[in-house]
Amino acid sequence: MKNGERPRAFVRPYRFIAVGAVVLFLLGVLSVRLWDLQVVHGAHYRSLAEENRLLRLPVAADRGIIVDRTGKVLVRNIPGFAVSVVPIDLPKTDQHDLAFRLAQLLGLDGAEVLKSIDEQRARNPYEPVKISTKPIARDLALLLTERAEVYPGVRIDAESVREYVEGPLYSPIIGYTGPITQDELQAKQDQGYLPTDQVGRTGLEWEYEQYLRGQYGWREIERDASQREIKTLAQTPSQAGGNVVLTIDDRLQHLLANELNTGVNADAFTQAVAIAMNPQTGEILAMVSTPSYDNNVFVRGITQPELDALNKDDRHPLVNKAVGEIYPPGSTFKMVTGLSALTAGTATRNTVINVSSLSITVSGTSFFDWRAHGPLNFVDGYAHSSDIYFYTLAGGSPLSSVQGVGPDNIAKYGRMLGFGAPTGIDLPGEADGIMPDPAWKQQTFGEPWSIGNTYHEAIGQGFVAVTPLQLLNAYASVANGGTLYVPHLLKEVDDAQGNPIVVQQPQVLRTLAMKPDDLRTIREGARKVVTSNHAPMPNAKLWIAGKTGTAEFGLSSGKDSAGRNKLGFHNWFVSFLPQQDNTDPTAKIAMVVFTFDSSRGLCETCLNPAIAISQRVYEQYVLGDPAKKAELIK
Amino acid sequence: MSVSGLTLPRAASPLHDKPTFRRLDLVDPYLLIATLLLMAYGLVITYSTSYEDSAAGDPVQFILRGAIFTVLGILVMVGVAYFDYAWFGTFAPLLYLLTLGLLVLVLVIGHNVLGGQRWITIAGQKFQVSEFAKVLMIVVLAKYFADRHDKIGSPLVLGGALVLLAPAFALVYRQPDLGTSLVFVGIFFGMAYLAGARPWQLASLVAMGLAAFPLIWGILQDYQKGRLTAFLDPYADPQGAGWNIIQSLIAIGSGQATGKGLTAGTQSPLGYLPIAESDFVFAGLAEDLGFVGAIILFALYAVLLVATLRIAFRARDPFGTFVGAGVFSMLAFQLVVNVGMAMSLMPVTGIPLPFISHGGSSLLSVCMALGILQSISMRRDASRLRS
Repeated sequence: MKNGERPRAFVRPYRFIAVGAVVLFLLGVLSVRLWDLQVVHGAHYRSLAEENRLLRLPVAADRGIIVDRTGKVLVRNIPGFAVSVVPIDLPKTDQHDLAFRLAQLLGLDGAEVLKSIDEQRARNPYEPVKISTKPIARDLALLLTERAEVYPGVRIDAESVREYVEGPLYSPIIGYTGPITQDELQAKQDQGYLPTDQVGRTGLEWEYEQYLRGQYGWREIERDASQREIKTLAQTPSQAGGNVVLTIDDRLQHLLANELNTGVNADAFTQAVAIAMNPQTGEILAMVSTPSYDNNVFVRGITQPELDALNKDDRHPLVNKAVGEIYPPGSTFKMVTGLSALTAGTATRNTVINVSSLSITVSGTSFFDWRAHGPLNFVDGYAHSSDIYFYTLAGGSPLSSVQGVGPDNIAKYGRMLGFGAPTGIDLPGEADGIMPDPAWKQQTFGEPWSIGNTYHEAIGQGFVAVTPLQLLNAYASVANGGTLYVPHLLKEVDDAQGNPIVVQQPQVLRTLAMKPDDLRTIREGARKVVTSNHAPMPNAKLWIAGKTGTAEFGLSSGKDSAGRNKLGFHNWFVSFLPQQDNTDPTAKIAMVVFTFDSSRGLCETCLNPAIAISQRVYEQYVLGDPAKKAELIK
Repeated sequence: MSVSGLTLPRAASPLHDKPTFRRLDLVDPYLLIATLLLMAYGLVITYSTSYEDSAAGDPVQFILRGAIFTVLGILVMVGVAYFDYAWFGTFAPLLYLLTLGLLVLVLVIGHNVLGGQRWITIAGQKFQVSEFAKVLMIVVLAKYFADRHDKIGSPLVLGGALVLLAPAFALVYRQPDLGTSLVFVGIFFGMAYLAGARPWQLASLVAMGLAAFPLIWGILQDYQKGRLTAFLDPYADPQGAGWNIIQSLIAIGSGQATGKGLTAGTQSPLGYLPIAESDFVFAGLAEDLGFVGAIILFALYAVLLVATLRIAFRARDPFGTFVGAGVFSMLAFQLVVNVGMAMSLMPVTGIPLPFISHGGSSLLSVCMALGILQSISMRRDASRLRS
């Protein structure tokens, strides 16, 4: 201790207190901020941290395949490659350049690619956005993987691609898949659809989307800041879509398609439709519409010129003509006229009309037959397809005492047989057809119905228009003794192990309110169409029954898109095969063949190619396979 | 004990005065306990935040390193406390030259890490020179102020201190290490104020600094500007400049009241949190141990800082007082800026959080500073203060 020591002037107590107080105050401020972050908003930040760390990745599920009734694969999945971009791995400065380089490689629009990367960056930069609209080639995938440093943020993923094994043969019924649209995505989001999904766009791919589509599995992963996967935290496996088994018999489909394609190639006709079904169940055994298109092109990504060419083609290759186009049924419609007269009681099988000349004249207009047949009863009138016989049944005649059944009755029974309304087959885009009556004409044209309308309708000309499927289904209901089924292509849906999860049962649309004997009369007449040589079948090995038809409509001059002459004459043969050569309603197969622009002639025997096609196909199909023969005939 | 040089113009120094014997009973227990607890806490946080960091290599290596440096730090602290702190004053001019020399050396032969040339290797160990420079500059400035403490009100004295500081500041800034150079500024103001500089002079300096801000802005690097603007609005560029601060806020907030538990945090081990072992170590701490863990840290620091102030207050001479004031300023500045930055209360500047940030240089230099403080405490004139 020194005496006289100066006070410790170098220590300034108030400043020490002030500095201590300031620091403690700042610690208080920090604590308050900490409380706000951790306690007040802690839950919010906790969820942000989880979002950082966790990523739920979808595990793709294979779409179901499609097979025919014998198990032959018609649609399957093959491996392909998809290109995606993860925005977080792509420096913003390189974004523009990369987008345009990728676009050039993939044949896309650079601005579009840039836009989708930008949008994803704003939405969630960690998640990849798919850039390729179609599977890319293996060598391109290899290039992008090997030169990864030149393509920052680009990712190549394996993806499964739809392959339509037979392409154009089945495209009218199977359709194709395509990328889901924004609207569909919004509508289906709660069903687990993702923006990168492919969905059925048309045909059975569209119709049975719910069965074909698999269920995504999910993998929850932990990732680090550079998006590397650290570990899988949870996993639910994906579930493959159901496999759709069709009622189609691929062998019959091929037989019919070969005939139709041969005919088109030989210029016997320019377009054609053929359908076969089982009249006892409504199962469709074959459905061919030609010309068609290759649905694989849609899956690979169709170009605008390709699409334009398909859309401009006046043969309508994109339309399944079996259900999507309507045509006048021609003489095949005499079945409806005849059944109406028989059922309404204005005629019986014994009603005889003498067709003594080539025409009758009503109200100063002449209506022609193709031959002066002489006296005809119902079966013969039907078998020889006498126009005057059916004019008379429909609308009466000055030369006969037979009373006409009238257009309202024809429309009534026509609708009963399924005309004028979709059959309800499991395909999109089915046309209604037209089953006219006087009220319809008044409403549509503002004109009253004339006797000429009745006569034209009686022989399937004029206003009446049908789809090939409607016509076949009506004949099938006659062939099975009076039950109109809903035609269907689905046999069953199997799970991945092959166990059926859905089995399609026959669906009865209605039972015809018609007398079994009258239906038998039609079957008898239909058989006589062949036996009387009206529909000539040389060396016939089977007892096919059917009805011919020649329809006149459309242009008879000019050329179609394929450069072939438009003739305006089109042929029908709609038929069924009873199990024995009798008139019992036992047929297990019925068939319609429609050939477009095929015949100029109106002669009895010539130039209806549909007859010969039908005979050949029946004989090859039934007799070419002993098992099939045992199944279809006795 | 008669030591202070009544007649001497300069503070007591072992070279020309009788040494003051240390008294072990005068070791400051609060400072000692707070120091040891903070060291232990630092090891716990090292373990907790590096445990899962498999990407950075074997996690054990960090903990081992931390433990080795903690032991070294305690030895340094004890060793420094053993000597009379007046030696530092005596050799202050030499220490000053040593400091500048090292800072020049690091610019010439230093390792470049993350865009900053901050490290030199001595005996296979990398040292961050600027960490030691901070402590050495405290000693130099304390000596300077102590020698002039009776003229402390003069602007010339204050200006002279700035001149002393300027080369060190500039060399550290050149590395570039904006954070550490700002610590120099904090130390300067803290020491000058506690040494008795006139408040209006200090306020004028602050005002001049603010007025020069446009000039300063002009010489800042782009990334430094980016950090400043990101502080104002982190979400303007969440993937770029704003990333660090956003991830830091997420880490801290997600810790909630009691934390996710030791090693259970995800932001730091998975790499979302940048520089998680140093600049943003507080975020990792707050994520794992929550509000409770952070408040424990604040409490330990409060004890440490108050003990430091008390030692400065009771020192036997101006040099001791000013050294204490400098160490207090350094620790308080680094704590407030590091934590405030992690919580987005101030712009991001790379400043470690003493004890908690990994890093041997930081720990050793702080231990050195606290050893000096214990030396000051052990050599205070206890009888006079007691009377």
